[in-house]
Amino acid sequence: MLTVILHTMRRFRGQIIGWGIGLALYAAFLSSFYDTIAKQSEQFEKLLQNYPQEIFAFFGGTTNLVTPEGYLTLEFFSYMPIIIGIFAVLAGSGLLASDEENGTMDLVLAHPISRSGLFLGRLLALLVATMAILAVNWLGFLVAMNWSSLDIGLVEMARPFLSLFAILMLFGSLALFLSMVLPSRRSAAMISGVLMVASFFITSLARLDKSLEDIARLSPMNYYQSGEAIKVLNNDWFLGLLAAAGVFVLASWWLFQRRDIRVGGEGGWRLPSFTSRLRFGPFPKTRAT
Amino acid sequence: MNNQIAIEIKGLTKFYGPVQALQVVDLEVRRGEIFGFLGPNGAGKTSTIRCLLDLIHPNGGEIRVLGINPQADPVAVRVRVGYLPGELRLLENMTGEGVLRYLNGLRGMKADWGFVHRMGERLDIDLREPIRNLSHGNKQKIGVVQALMHRPELLLLDEPTIGLDPLMQHEVLRLISEAQGEGTTVFFSSHIMSEVQAIAGRVAMIRKGEIVEVAEPSNLINRALRRVQVRLREPVDITPLSSLPGVTLLSRDDKTVLFQVAGEINGLIKALAPFPVSDLETERPSLEEIFLALYQDERKEE
Repeated sequence: MLTVILHTMRRFRGQIIGWGIGLALYAAFLSSFYDTIAKQSEQFEKLLQNYPQEIFAFFGGTTNLVTPEGYLTLEFFSYMPIIIGIFAVLAGSGLLASDEENGTMDLVLAHPISRSGLFLGRLLALLVATMAILAVNWLGFLVAMNWSSLDIGLVEMARPFLSLFAILMLFGSLALFLSMVLPSRRSAAMISGVLMVASFFITSLARLDKSLEDIARLSPMNYYQSGEAIKVLNNDWFLGLLAAAGVFVLASWWLFQRRDIRVGGEGGWRLPSFTSRLRFGPFPKTRAT
Repeated sequence: MNNQIAIEIKGLTKFYGPVQALQVVDLEVRRGEIFGFLGPNGAGKTSTIRCLLDLIHPNGGEIRVLGINPQADPVAVRVRVGYLPGELRLLENMTGEGVLRYLNGLRGMKADWGFVHRMGERLDIDLREPIRNLSHGNKQKIGVVQALMHRPELLLLDEPTIGLDPLMQHEVLRLISEAQGEGTTVFFSSHIMSEVQAIAGRVAMIRKGEIVEVAEPSNLINRALRRVQVRLREPVDITPLSSLPGVTLLSRDDKTVLFQVAGEINGLIKALAPFPVSDLETERPSLEEIFLALYQDERKEE
């Protein structure tokens, strides 16, 4: 399995560097810009008061630019699930399906590795890659804060990244699950992406329209804390998102065990079979229909 | 379970949705033999091989590979098997050596690297070249090397010489024969009769997901129709030869006669002895002709 993890990590290498360093530089820019905001806080407050509230609803619902958590919510964490979510959705949907579609999985699974081993190896690599991107990003903030009046401790700064990690895992695992059900990686990525954006919109709109609050409770983004987690991490929400991701992962694993590995190309759409043969039982004598 | 049997398949069936790819496949491959698996495209060769490795799940039947049920313990089977897929796809952004090292890693570093380089030299491949720069034939050579590199007990090869030039086809068949010489059982699919005849001890023919025949290649060929063209030094009437059993006259001009012969051509050659023959050409029966001969036999039996 170590070979699978290392190989998959090599495949993620470019994305870790690209996403990690890109976002770390952006974090450094935001940290330095905070000084300007803090110095001219009164003018900014007045400026923001003239903005329609609808805008702030889509940026974490805060208008407080002066506090570190308000500033980072508005300028960074509020929309990061959508930005890094692109990585999570693409990586999740392609974790296994891309190898099937390009035909390389046939040869890999002919080697002495179980489907569970391959699944777990790939999944661990995705977890590590996501953590690495967020860790580089976190480090970017910490380093840049040395030259900024933005003063947040190591642990406090890690909390919103934990919340971000949980929401990314949820949408990444949803994409993985859909790639096991839908005929192609593309369709799995597209539908998970649409669900992710829809979730963001529903949660944001619920801040404006109280009648949407009931629906928003079903939206995963509702349980993403954004920069507010700097003060305190809501463990229930954090663990709840990870548990939901775990359900999708388990369902994906179950489907992968029962799947006929494609030789290449996109497959045909079919409902997952709940009446398929027992994997480790005696040979069935019945024919499929 | 008989220890002398490397592959045992009983009543194997496989459906792809409503399409039945394998009807009821029954097959036995003995340890140490080279077993050819012949059939036209879509006959079920690849589906059978992929069931042996649990890449696809059968809908019915029993399989034992080296005494192990691949559906119950696929890893135990794969440890002992080398596999070359029919539609080989390699990781395009790696070099040949990179791919082999990665696959060797999946095997727990079991490959004999000296053997890998010797095979690379024999097959004339540059392992440092990225896969994306390699021709189809060269990728196929990498596929052959990865299947053989850990000296498996059983080789499952799906069309191993596809895309190779005749020289390399010959070299690959030599490598397969050498593997057999070291005790490896070889089960390989093909739709080329000549290569099966060259190395296989026995052959199974599959059509529409059913095994039609299991026999020695020479038996199959002898039962097939073949064309024999006889060129004469001078015009002679040799039409009486067409009255020989199994011989039919297809066409003739002054100095050339074309016969169709069912079964062995020995009788025709002996009958030609008194005639002034300048040349004799036999056309090897194609897979289709062998199938045709088999179906004719089946119809007669019906």
